[in-house]
Amino acid sequence: MELKLTDICKNFGEKEVLKNVSFTAEGGKALGLLGRNGAGKTTTIRIIMGVFFADSGTIETDGSPIQRSNIRFGYMPEERGLYPKQLISNQLIYLAQLRGMSRSDAQKSCDKWLDRMEMSEYKNKKLETLSKGNQQKIQLAATLMCHPQIVILDEPFSGLDPVNAMLLKDVIKEMIASGTTVLFSSHQMNYIEEFCESIAILNDGHIVLDGKINQIKRSYPRDKILIISPQAEKLISFVLQKMSGEILTAQNEDDPHHVIIKLKDPDFKLSLMRVLSDSSFDIDCFQVCEPSLNDIFVQYTEAGI
Amino acid sequence: MKHILQVLQFEYLTCVKNKAFIITTIIFMASILLLGFIPAIIMIFTGDTSSDGKETPVIAVVSNRYYDDKTLADEFQNIYEDYEIKITNENMDAIKKNVNNETYEFAVVIDDKLSYTFVTKNNSLINTETKLPLINGIIQDMYRMDSFEKFGISSKDTKEILSADISSTTIATGKDQTKNYISTYVMIMLLYIAILMYGQMVSQSIVAEKNTRAMEMLITCAKPAHLMFGKVIGSGLAGLTQLVLILGSTFASMSALSTQTLPPELQEMISFPIQTVIYAIIFFLLGYFIFSFLFGALSSFATRSEDINTLTTPVMLIYIATFIIVIFSINFGSVDTPLMVVCSYIPFTAPMCMLVRATMSDVALYEILISIAIQVITIYLLGILAATIYRIGVLMYGKPPKMGEIIKLLIEDHKTNKK
Repeated sequence: MELKLTDICKNFGEKEVLKNVSFTAEGGKALGLLGRNGAGKTTTIRIIMGVFFADSGTIETDGSPIQRSNIRFGYMPEERGLYPKQLISNQLIYLAQLRGMSRSDAQKSCDKWLDRMEMSEYKNKKLETLSKGNQQKIQLAATLMCHPQIVILDEPFSGLDPVNAMLLKDVIKEMIASGTTVLFSSHQMNYIEEFCESIAILNDGHIVLDGKINQIKRSYPRDKILIISPQAEKLISFVLQKMSGEILTAQNEDDPHHVIIKLKDPDFKLSLMRVLSDSSFDIDCFQVCEPSLNDIFVQYTEAGI
Repeated sequence: MKHILQVLQFEYLTCVKNKAFIITTIIFMASILLLGFIPAIIMIFTGDTSSDGKETPVIAVVSNRYYDDKTLADEFQNIYEDYEIKITNENMDAIKKNVNNETYEFAVVIDDKLSYTFVTKNNSLINTETKLPLINGIIQDMYRMDSFEKFGISSKDTKEILSADISSTTIATGKDQTKNYISTYVMIMLLYIAILMYGQMVSQSIVAEKNTRAMEMLITCAKPAHLMFGKVIGSGLAGLTQLVLILGSTFASMSALSTQTLPPELQEMISFPIQTVIYAIIFFLLGYFIFSFLFGALSSFATRSEDINTLTTPVMLIYIATFIIVIFSINFGSVDTPLMVVCSYIPFTAPMCMLVRATMSDVALYEILISIAIQVITIYLLGILAATIYRIGVLMYGKPPKMGEIIKLLIEDHKTNKK
């Protein structure tokens, strides 16, 4: 299911929270919704879910205006929220029923998801008796047990140990593979890069950047080359001597085996490769240095708010 | 509608499975039942001994020849039926000794035609309040009979003239306010506590959901109006369950009491006419919905349970003022004052005021129906308003807004929705 937001505006009193926010999340893919704290992510999510009304703009699913009653949403808020004093199975079934499942289906789905999350033994325990990480898993079960068509995950990995994080990764990958539209909001860029094909960066209520991650990265000048070689120092003097006209700088960075070469023009990459392949240097890696998502995020958001 | 039912069911079960709720209900029922059966229980333990030939207490009377001994004894016997009256000539020391060792319950020594000495072991308020006026009456009668006899009127005739009984009948053309006094009083107290208790329960439940952020999930699963209605109706039904259980035990208790030998006037006063109970349930439900929606809506702005009190103060003031007006009216027996009449049509005061007037006064059925209709319409409008406030309030955290700010937020929200 394709989810498309067009020119969404929202004011709270005098404060403009969202200004012409537009992005598209495709079915079977994950979209990373990024932004600093207070950028408007939660408000955007709440408008999608129908908690708030937008002042202007449209939301469409598969090309027609959104009919929320016909869509199964799975939402995991950043502020985890369940009933601490209720039995886990009770509240999971209750929430699934509210999301439109019959009681018997909700019961089956509850068992299935508790099993998937390796939490079956806690079915009849109160939520407050569980550790933070396990509560997080219950929250995830609550989000996913209604077979959602659109899943919105806000910081799903916070508080999970590496084993549980792996479990969650598998679950998210399965969902994406099954065609679910996933909206993923996180400040842990490694997870965004792992799951999301596209991102939309919100800053001060504006979408400052959106598109496919690989295209965004390719849009940066590809004039920085990373070479990993045990003969780094020799290699630096060699290329500086051989290609002085094409290279701006060549120096070690962080690791003594890493050499970063800045070309005068990205097109000189091929000649650099040729020069090196003709030489007898032992080269482990030759790659274009792309900006990390973190760098892109900081670049687009640090001026804001 | 489906959502309302689901929320309702969840809220109802959460309420009735709550330990505090169960314990309160059991304690209430147990104390009411105990109260009703106490006389019966006491009878079991003490009933036998009363008929067990226990000695009849003795009252000693020393006439000192001022009055005829037999007439004096008869007069005393008339008043103190269950006592043995002993006319004696013992001197004061002997009398004191016998009273002290409890041979006599008490003694009356006539010192002159119009003066006497009352001898008792321990003086108490009961003596001065009850016994002395009775003895005064006896001596007065004796003096009158004695005096009239000097004019040739026999003591029998004197007695007849003096004891001329007046019979009276009261016809209440409206409702007899004395009859329903106790039942209405109890119902009003119950209504006051119940509405407040269950209304607060709604408040607490909303703040708890906000506090645990369960609201973040709920608000995306169901419409705020459905959540609000489900919650209020669910808690209301839980309250009704508790009320029915408590009223049920009250009935059991009352029927146990009525089998005891209570004076008929008292039985009439404590009896619970079924009509009163039905009115109480109707007005409980109306009052509960009116105040729960208000409490619920206002509490949705609270982040901590301590904020509830600050936010609900204006509503509480109206509520307590109504209660005071009603209690004063019941006590002064004037439940149809202009203030009460007006209040029985104002939605916020009507539940208590109309209940009192319906049970204690002669209110036409159509007046009650108008009041009920006004309240039902108010509940509907309040429900919609409460759901709107709730939608705005539940996602606001931090310091609760002032009343003026809440109104401003509502106007803004209305404008947004109009667009």
